[in-house]
Parts: sequence; structure tokens; C-alpha cells
Amino acid sequence: MPPLDELLAGLAREHATGALRVGRAGTIYLDDGRVTYMDCAQTPGAERLLAGRVAEAALRAAQADGGCERLLAEGAITLGELQYCVLGAVLDAAFFLLPVIGTRPKFRPAERHWLGGRWYFDVPGLVRECARRRACLAQIWPAAEVDTAPVRPAPRLPGQGVALTGTQWEVVVRADGACSPLELAKLLGRSGYAVLLAVRELAAAGLLVTGERPAPLPKRAGRAADAPAPRPGTRPPRTLGPPVNADPADLELLLRLRKALEELS
Amino acid sequence: MLGLDNCLTEVMAIPGALDAMLVDHTSGMAVAVSGPPQGVDAETSAAALTETLRATVDGLARSCPGETVRVDDMLITTDKGHHLLRMLDTLFGGPLVIYVRLDLERSNLALARYRLSALSTRLLA
Repeated sequence: MPPLDELLAGLAREHATGALRVGRAGTIYLDDGRVTYMDCAQTPGAERLLAGRVAEAALRAAQADGGCERLLAEGAITLGELQYCVLGAVLDAAFFLLPVIGTRPKFRPAERHWLGGRWYFDVPGLVRECARRRACLAQIWPAAEVDTAPVRPAPRLPGQGVALTGTQWEVVVRADGACSPLELAKLLGRSGYAVLLAVRELAAAGLLVTGERPAPLPKRAGRAADAPAPRPGTRPPRTLGPPVNADPADLELLLRLRKALEELS
Repeated sequence: MLGLDNCLTEVMAIPGALDAMLVDHTSGMAVAVSGPPQGVDAETSAAALTETLRATVDGLARSCPGETVRVDDMLITTDKGHHLLRMLDTLFGGPLVIYVRLDLERSNLALARYRLSALSTRLLA
């Protein structure tokens, strides 16, 4: 089976129009041999990216009736925003979808995406840009394990101070040792590549490490589990002064001792 | 309607504009180019401009402690011309950068800045 980019180049040469479904990994929409839209299961799509800008109900309404013409006519977004958003989403999807192998893609002619058709990508340009992005990532930090592993901020700064970019800040805030970078991207509504870039930059600077957050200390967990729940309405007993650790018999002893001392004098 | 493709036509209508480019700051990719490349490759140029901006933002963040740096535009004057960069923030990514190179003698910097800022509010509201 040929790699996806070769298959796509073939469709581009044939000036094909339709949707190329790559199993569950994603779909590529073409119009006259140019890519108009691409979605990938791993990355946030244009709808997710627009969610911070346009109300979800307005997006759904436009998808059901009117398409992106309606969004533009209603003034929900500008043409520039729509194009820039689709551009970001398609390049992001291409970055993760094009290397996918092992599924037999199915082509459905004449199928279109409702957000497509406002910005066109030529296939060689798309493939070249993905390669350039991969090279950029490798240049920042060659180890790829931070791309897929859950990440968390390093507990200590390996220096006195640091300057972070906006995306890096968002990653540090949300990285909890449970989410992988692509899960973070969906959470943040940022492109997967932007988050991957930030994660590698942070990892290269020693600010982000992989792996789960260390398990909570057994002492704390034990205490929380063993301590009886205080009954509602009753206050926990309070002791005043030093703790009493002797039994009442000691008082007897003290009295006898005082008596003995008095007899001595 | 003003889109990414035709906004460069308006940028090039600024008096003294020599060439213009739209750059995606996150990836350092040239989104749109005003015309045939003049001596430099658009991709290289876009990546290099991104690095320039990144270094500037980093430097400014260090030189004003306790402050968050938010660059609206940046102007560099060389012996060959003015380079004007405007950063447009969006909620979903970017920022998108409009870059224009202006002629040293024939351009009016105040006008160019005004035109760019007016254009950017129409492009990404």
C-alpha cells in the first residue's frame, strides 16, 4: 500500500474532488486536486479552535444550514479569521495524519466539508510544510518521547529565572502528569503542533519532565482513610495545656510523696 | 471581504511598500506572500522573521520584570529600508504577523503604522 502522501499526490494529479477517509484516523477533503479541509482524530479541528470565538450553538446552526457563508454573513467571524483557523487546523491535521500507515483509505467522490473551500492547499506544499515542521521539532529537542508521554512541570526551576511564551505558559498550567501533549492541545483549544513545540522547548530547557505525578504520600492517604469522620454537630475534643499521660493513681503517689517530705523536715 | 489572500494587496498599497508577507508566528510559516520573491526565499525569510520576533519578545520580557510583554508592532530601520511587523493575536492560535518592508525615502512611517493597524482590525476582528 502506498504511503498517504503519494496517494494524495495521485489524487491531486487527477484533479479529484471528494473525501479520502483514512480509517478512523481522519479524513482529507479535496476540491479539484487541492486540499480544502483535513481532520485528524488526534488534533483539535477547526470547530474546536473556533469554539472560543463563536458560540457552539451558532456553529451548529451554521453547519446544519447555510455553511460558513452564514457564519460570515452574520458577522460571527471575519473571513480572515475563518481562513486562518482552517489553515491552522489543516496543517495541524496533516502533520499527524500524513504519517499514518496501515489503514486502507477510501475515497468518496464529491463529498465536501462545510468549512472547506475558503483556503486551498496544494499537496506538495502541504507535504513540504509538514517535513519542515518535523525538522523544527527535531532541532529543538531530538527526543520524541515527550510527544506522547504524559508531562508535568519540573518541581524546581533549573536556574534563577525564565521567560515563557503564551503557549508555554498554558502548557505549564495544564500539564498535570496525566495528559499527553495532544490531549493538552484539545484541552487548551490550541493546535497540536503548537503544543508539541512548546512541550519540546520546555523539555529542552529542563522545565517539563515526562512521567506520572508521584503517588500521594502513603502517610497522608492513610490518615485520610483511617481517621473517623467527625460526627456532624459535635466538636472534636480539645485539650488545654500539656497532654495528660499519667493515670489517676499517680495523684495518690504525689500526695504520699508530699506527706513523706513534710515528715522529713 | 478582506481575507488572508487579498489583504496583502492592501498592505502593498501603503506608500513606499516594497514587499509584504503574512507569517504564522507559531510555526514560522509564510502564509501569503505579496509577489515574486526578491532575492530571498519566502520560507527562509518567514522563519527568520519569526526568530527575530521571538528574540525581541524574550529580550523585552527580561528587561521589564514583573510585566507581561505584549508586542503590538515592531519597527526596525536598516540602511536599506524600514521593516514593520504587526502581531495579530487570535484566540485559537498564532499570532499572525503582517510584515511589510518599506522604502527608506518614499515611505511615511506614521501613515504605514496607522494603515496596518486599521487593516488588522478588519482582518481579524
